[in-house]
Amino acid sequence: MENNHYIPKVARIINIKNEVEGARAIKTFRTQFAGDDGFTHACGQSAMLSVLGKGESMISISSSPIEAEYLQFSVLKTGRVTSALHEMKVGDMIGIRGPYGNGFPIDKWTGKNLIFIGGGIGLAPIWSVLQTALGKKSDYGNLTLIYGSRTSKDLVFKEELRGIKQEMAVHLSVDNEEDRWEEYVGFVPNNLLDKNPSPENAVAITCGPPIMIKFVIKNLQDLGFKDDQIYTTVENKMKCGIGICGRCNIGPHYVCKDGPIYSWAELKKLPQEY
Amino acid sequence: MEKILTKKALPQWLIKLNAYQIYAPVKKENHWSYEALDKPESIRLDHLNTIQSPKMIIFPQREVFFEFHNAEGNTLVMKEPASESSATVIFGVRPCDAAGVTHQDKVFDGHFKDLYYWKRRNQTILVGLACNTPPSPHCFCLSVGGSPHSTAGFDILMTELEDSYYVESFSKKGDTLISLAGDIFSTPKENDKKDKEKAHSDSEKKLKRHIKDLETVPPKLKDMFDSPLWEEESLSCIQCGICTYLCPTCHCFDINDEKDSSSPLSGKRVRTWDNCQFPDFTMHSSGHNPRPDRASRLRQRIMHKFNYFVTNYKAYQCTGCGRCIDKCPVGIDIIEVLEKVRDYGK
Repeated sequence: MENNHYIPKVARIINIKNEVEGARAIKTFRTQFAGDDGFTHACGQSAMLSVLGKGESMISISSSPIEAEYLQFSVLKTGRVTSALHEMKVGDMIGIRGPYGNGFPIDKWTGKNLIFIGGGIGLAPIWSVLQTALGKKSDYGNLTLIYGSRTSKDLVFKEELRGIKQEMAVHLSVDNEEDRWEEYVGFVPNNLLDKNPSPENAVAITCGPPIMIKFVIKNLQDLGFKDDQIYTTVENKMKCGIGICGRCNIGPHYVCKDGPIYSWAELKKLPQEY
Repeated sequence: MEKILTKKALPQWLIKLNAYQIYAPVKKENHWSYEALDKPESIRLDHLNTIQSPKMIIFPQREVFFEFHNAEGNTLVMKEPASESSATVIFGVRPCDAAGVTHQDKVFDGHFKDLYYWKRRNQTILVGLACNTPPSPHCFCLSVGGSPHSTAGFDILMTELEDSYYVESFSKKGDTLISLAGDIFSTPKENDKKDKEKAHSDSEKKLKRHIKDLETVPPKLKDMFDSPLWEEESLSCIQCGICTYLCPTCHCFDINDEKDSSSPLSGKRVRTWDNCQFPDFTMHSSGHNPRPDRASRLRQRIMHKFNYFVTNYKAYQCTGCGRCIDKCPVGIDIIEVLEKVRDYGK
C-alpha cells in the first residue's frame, strides 16, 4: 500500500513553552507521535501541522534529529491555524505530516567553521542544525551564533541560549537600547559586521525576516564570503507540501520540495520576487 | 487494433459497456458538458468543445481527503471516505483534452504520488474523437505540439467517416472495450484507412489559429520576468479565474477543513481547485504577498505554462483547446500574449 501523503499522523503535545508574549506571541511545542507510524527528519526540514477543523500550517522542525524522542516546533501566532495551536494544551492531539523539504547539506560542512545568523523566529530552523553541530562538535570547526530581535523580550530560546554560551560563541543583539542590556544594540546585519567572522573555511547560515536576510547576505559578501558559502531559507504559502498544489513556486522550483534551503549561489539565479 | 463501427451501431456498443460508468458530451441549453450517460441511445458525438474538459472527472473540483472526528480518550480519528470510483469510460474526448490529462499525469506522478488522483486515473479509459473540424474557433493545438487527431493519452481514438467511425485502440483497456462488443465491429478496408488519413490531414488545414515560432518563447521568457509587458497585458483582467478553471492542464488546488461540529469535533478535509489569478493564492499569513498584483499573476500563468513547466517536464502546459480565449470576459487572448512575448523588443 502506497503512502497517502495527505493524511497526517496523530501526535500528542507533550510540552509547551512560552517564548514570547503579546501580539506576536511565540510558543514552542514538543510533540510525540501517538502511534508507531511517525517519521524522522533531517536538519532544516519542515512538517505540516494540523489543527483539525482549522487547517494546516507548514512549520520548520526546530529540534535536531539527534533528539529522536520528540519533534519540536516554534510557532509564531499569526493566522487561523497558528492561533488555534496557541490555544492548545499539553495532552492535546494534533496531526503532523512530513517531513518536507531538502534540509541543510550538513554532510558537506564537516571540518568547517559554521556561523549561524538569525533574527526573531528565524532561529527555529537554524536551531535544528545548530543543535546537531553541537552534538557532534568534533566534526566541525568553530561554531558561532549571531542572533537578534527587536527587543530582548522577542528573543526565542532564551534559556537555551544561556546554556549554549558555554559551548560556542553567542552574540546577541536588540534593535534599540534597553536597561540592563549588555550585548550589542543594533540590527543583526550590523552585529555581523561588528563581529567580523572570517570567511576562511566557513559556511554562513541565515534565517529571519526577508529584509534582514537581504542585508545579512550583502554584508557577508562584503566580508568576503562567496555565494556558495552562504545558505538561507525561503518561505512561501504552502498547502500540499509535495510540489503539486502550485502556489509556493519561485520560478520552476517548488519551495516545499525543492527548498526551503538554498545556497545564495542557487537562489540568486531565481526570480527575486516570485 | 483497428476496427470499423457504423454510426448506427454506436449505442449498441455502449449497451455492451454497462459494467462501466460512462461519461459523454451532453448538449445543455447553450453549451456542451460531460455528464454521466444514463441512456446509451442518447449518445451524440457531434459536440463542440465541452465547457469543462474531462479533467473534472479525473480531478474533480471538490473531493474529500478524509473525515475526522475527536474520539473517546482525546484521540483523533482520520479516515478516508469509502471509494466511490468505478471503472469509467469517457467518450468523445477531444485530443487537446486527452493531452491535458497526460500533462496532469506528470504533475500528480512526481516525487510524491497523489493517490486520490491515481485511484480515478487508473480506472479511467479515454475514448477520443478526432476533430475533423475544429470544435472551437480558437483551437490552436498544432502550435503546442498536438494535433486534431493526436493519439496522446487515448486508449481509443475514433475518427468520423461518412457512415461509420474508424476505431483505433492503443492499449489493452481499449482492446477490451472493443472485444466486449466484438461482433458489431468490422475490419477496415483499404478505402476506410485512406478516408481516415484524408480526414486527418484535412482537419489540420481547417485550424484557423496558430502561433509561429512558439519554441522561441520559453528561452525568451527567462529574461522577461521584470518586463512591463505583464502590466500592459493584465490591465483589463478582472481576476475571475475562468482561464485556469477551464484549462485542461491547470492543477493548482487548495486544502481546507469543513467542520460539521465543534463539540464533539467532526468534519472533513477537502481539496478544491484553486487559482493563481486570485490574490490570496500566495498571500502569506504576515500579509506579505509575493504576487501582489494582476501583472505578477498573469506573468505566473504564462511563465508556468511556457517556461517553468517546459523546464520541469519538457512540454508546454497548454494543449491549444482555446477555452481560456473563448471564455475570458475581457478578451485576454493567450495567443496574442505569446505573440507579444515572441516579438518583444524586436
